[in-house]
Amino acid sequence: MFLEVNDVVAGYTKEVSILNGVQFAAEEGKVTVILGPNGAGKSTLLRTVYGYLKPRRGEVRFRGELLNGRRPSEMLRHGIAYLLQGHSVFPSMSVEENLELGAWIFGKDRQARARAIEDAYDHFPRLREKRRGAAGLLSGGEQRALEIARLVMTSPKLLLLDEPSVGLMPKLVDSVYEEIARLKDRKMTVVMVDQNVKKAVAIADQVYVLKLGANSYDGPQADFLLRMDEIVKGWL
Amino acid sequence: MDWSMLADPNILTVLVLQGLVRGAMYALMGIGLSLIFGILGVVNFAHGELFMLGSYVMYLVVGIFGMPFYLGIVAAAGVVFVCGVAIERGLVEQLRRRAGRDWISDSFVLTIGLAVVLQNLAHLAFGSRQYGVAELVAGSVPVGELEISLERLAIFGLACLAVLLLWAFMKFARTGRAIRAAAQNAEAAETLGIDVRNLFTVTFGLGAAFAGVAGALLISIYPASPTVGAEPLLKSFAVVVLGGLGNVSGAIAAGLLLGVLEAFTIFIAADGWQNVLTAYLVILVLLVRPAGLFVLGGKRA
Ligand SMILES: Nc1ncnc2c1ncn2[C@@H]1O[C@H](COP(=O)(O)OP(=O)(O)OP(=O)(O)O)[C@@H](O)[C@H]1O
Ligand SMILES: [Mg+2]
Repeated sequence: MFLEVNDVVAGYTKEVSILNGVQFAAEEGKVTVILGPNGAGKSTLLRTVYGYLKPRRGEVRFRGELLNGRRPSEMLRHGIAYLLQGHSVFPSMSVEENLELGAWIFGKDRQARARAIEDAYDHFPRLREKRRGAAGLLSGGEQRALEIARLVMTSPKLLLLDEPSVGLMPKLVDSVYEEIARLKDRKMTVVMVDQNVKKAVAIADQVYVLKLGANSYDGPQADFLLRMDEIVKGWL
Repeated sequence: MDWSMLADPNILTVLVLQGLVRGAMYALMGIGLSLIFGILGVVNFAHGELFMLGSYVMYLVVGIFGMPFYLGIVAAAGVVFVCGVAIERGLVEQLRRRAGRDWISDSFVLTIGLAVVLQNLAHLAFGSRQYGVAELVAGSVPVGELEISLERLAIFGLACLAVLLLWAFMKFARTGRAIRAAAQNAEAAETLGIDVRNLFTVTFGLGAAFAGVAGALLISIYPASPTVGAEPLLKSFAVVVLGGLGNVSGAIAAGLLLGVLEAFTIFIAADGWQNVLTAYLVILVLLVRPAGLFVLGGKRA
């Protein structure tokens, strides 16, 4: 399996576990969506995969390799990118500086950095127009575009997305999902946490539901759609 | 007090220059403190002792070995940078790893304890005597019928140079850019593959080096002694409160402003009153603009 989370227990303090034995798998080249009520532990699951939290029990494997104990700053070099919940641009730095930082792992390879930034501008022309402006002054949609551009500029294999469409204007929401669906064509595997059940499931291959830090449902898109009313009852 | 003296352009010039020299030191100290707080979240109560280390290094290099003063400054910057790196890796980082989420409040205890240890080590090594260097640069320039010493001007010039170097590093160097990014959003920086742990170490070293340079530059005014760091520490806290915690450019502006205000206070009232003024100013700013004088919209940086 591409990404595998086996029986993971994790939490922010010693006394309290947020994840209580979570089981999760994502298949290569597919979009896997994680749903669940507020506070269910969805973000915590992504944070544990990415190394912000150490699993107290269980293991996280990426392409068979054990990720437990690795630090977040190592992940992108392993091909795993992470879109944090909420906005994560560096607000008082320019758009271009943000992109330069997105190309950080290319190190001193100026050409690779320049090429990645050029690609990002080609993909999001609005960013080129505002390259000298502070990222914090961009609109919410433009900030999200910058975050996504930064996220994919090193061509990662696996993308962890935490609520990518939250807080955007309705007409921008659809374009974010289209963008994510297109990532599949670029052979990227997507794991997405979301609150927007309908739109997320529409682009999903596999769906998981977490409740109170434990698995509550998993199945393919078609099955979820069939049983949706019963599954989401109580938290929507 | 003859107020008409304040109308004399020569006196004004001298006061402003004296104030800027004073302020340059406050700014250097405040910058170091702000950098460390802005990136690591640690309030470094041992900052005065890093100033002290810088002044001892200066004394050794210039006073004992008779090397030129600029070598003393470079040596102070280097030695205190290394000390800062060692403190971060050996103590702060260990605490961060072990103490979990409450490590910030624990770090206060750590840096206060460190200050005490460093003071006593200095006492063991050098005793309580003061070691100074008489004059780094001889001569003075006339301002009307008054004069201002070249040394003061050199101190000011070198402090400006240090600030300029830091600015260039933050603006143009890859590591500098990464430090700014981590200050704004450390988690996001990590998702881009930036090892924030290393940045913490470099930043602590840099902040320490600024305190060391301040100690070295001011050796003729504040001779090296185990407790020489106390006043600079207090002043740097004032600067950081006025300029906004963690706001480096705010620290520069606040440092210079405070220096000039103090120079005028000493002239108008008497030596000693500048500390009263500073204390009142700090309280006033905490009441009226707790985020700092130079923070737009009053939001915390
Ligand atoms: N940094 C933190 N420190 C302590 N507890 C936290 C922290 N972050 C989250 N929690 C707790 O962990 C639990 C799960 O939070 P998590 O953010 O994973 O939920 P979520 O499913 O992502 O919710 P949402 O849909 O609101 O984003 C919550 O009870 C929350 O209070
Ligand atoms: Mg969440």
